[in-house]
Amino acid sequence: MYNIGQYIPGNSPVHRLDPRVKIILLVILSIFIFRADLTVSALTTAFYIIVIAVSRLGFLRVIKSLKPAAVFFAFLFLIHLFFTEGTPVFSFLPQYVSITFEGLHRGILYTWRFILLVLSASVLTMTTRPSGLVSGIERLLRPLNFTGISSHDTAMMISLALRFVPTLLEETQKIKEAQAARGANISSGSIFYKIKSAAALAMPLLVNSCRRVDELADAMEGRGYQRGPRTYMYELQLTRLDYAALLIGFILVFAACAYKYF
Amino acid sequence: MRKMTVRGMIYAAMFGAVTAIGAYIAIPAVPVPITLQTLFLNLAAVLLGGSLGALSQVIYVLLGIIGLPVFSGGTAGLGVLFGPTGGYLLGFIAGAFIIGKLVEMKKNPGIAWIIVSMLAGMVVIYIFGALQLSIAGGLSIKKAAVAGVLPFLPGDFLKIIIAALTSVKIKDKINI
Repeated sequence: MYNIGQYIPGNSPVHRLDPRVKIILLVILSIFIFRADLTVSALTTAFYIIVIAVSRLGFLRVIKSLKPAAVFFAFLFLIHLFFTEGTPVFSFLPQYVSITFEGLHRGILYTWRFILLVLSASVLTMTTRPSGLVSGIERLLRPLNFTGISSHDTAMMISLALRFVPTLLEETQKIKEAQAARGANISSGSIFYKIKSAAALAMPLLVNSCRRVDELADAMEGRGYQRGPRTYMYELQLTRLDYAALLIGFILVFAACAYKYF
Repeated sequence: MRKMTVRGMIYAAMFGAVTAIGAYIAIPAVPVPITLQTLFLNLAAVLLGGSLGALSQVIYVLLGIIGLPVFSGGTAGLGVLFGPTGGYLLGFIAGAFIIGKLVEMKKNPGIAWIIVSMLAGMVVIYIFGALQLSIAGGLSIKKAAVAGVLPFLPGDFLKIIIAALTSVKIKDKINI
């Protein structure tokens, strides 16, 4: 499989945890981060520093993985900073723009929470291979089978989509080059022209993909692909390590609840 | 409802992947760059119908969850889904469902009806998006709407028109 995710191979205890356990812990932690104040955020950060150290990912690499989201962090912070009413601590152009104490507090709190959310997901995807995540999601989605799409179907579709992505990226590049050779230019001209040239890109991409899908569907039907339960090459199995991790997770949450309400 | 066939599911997987590709195709514009996710979302909903259209967006979101950098700005992961900007992703699923169902209501939907459906879907996406932005981001609804809806509107209108025109052209090429 193409390694287009963020997975970094390793053999740490965090790597060896069952994907299901990691996903569940992540969801619990996320709910928890939502309600965090500054103290809890600091404690959660400390917890992640330990997790990252244990999993030997390297802090630099983890911080780098936050880079794409930096725009959103900055945006959220600035919006709170400049548009919260309260006691001004600093103002330029008085009466119009001022930074308030409340704004600073809210900005830091909400941005920190967001960073922690993205960070926790990064740790998950960096320590779990995509195939592991797919089978983890597949197992966790089983209770949703009543919707008519079994979790096996979902897993099959994710695997197919994963395989489609590099092919489609390549195809997009080809179409772009073919159009550039004929004088198209997506990055200049009026906005209408740009949109039009983007649509000229989307159309052949879609038509080609539909042809590809039809071929694949014929092949699968021709070979008698059946929906329904399947067996796996690697069965997920909970080990002592997983139970320990779950236990630690629950203890942390209980401790936090106790701290908050008593 | 169309029966869920293997072919239909492969189409949903493909449209999920195409939506992910759409996040990479960014057209520089003011005030925010325009990406093609919602263009492909609209096409998926019209061409596949409500259920499969929504399923294609589920696949797109799952691709992001397992670590492919396919959410806006090249982000990924469950954290983004739970964070302030995650509402749009949930809105994509709901929006695709609504658009598909509205288009399915008519036997031979004309381009006007397709555009109306897409507008309805857009409203749904923005309701989800702005709500989560205000709850998880700690902003008032008004601020969330100014920051998270207004800058994207012009691009979205253009994309809807193009999606409607394109979908009419290739509707016959798809047989599920």
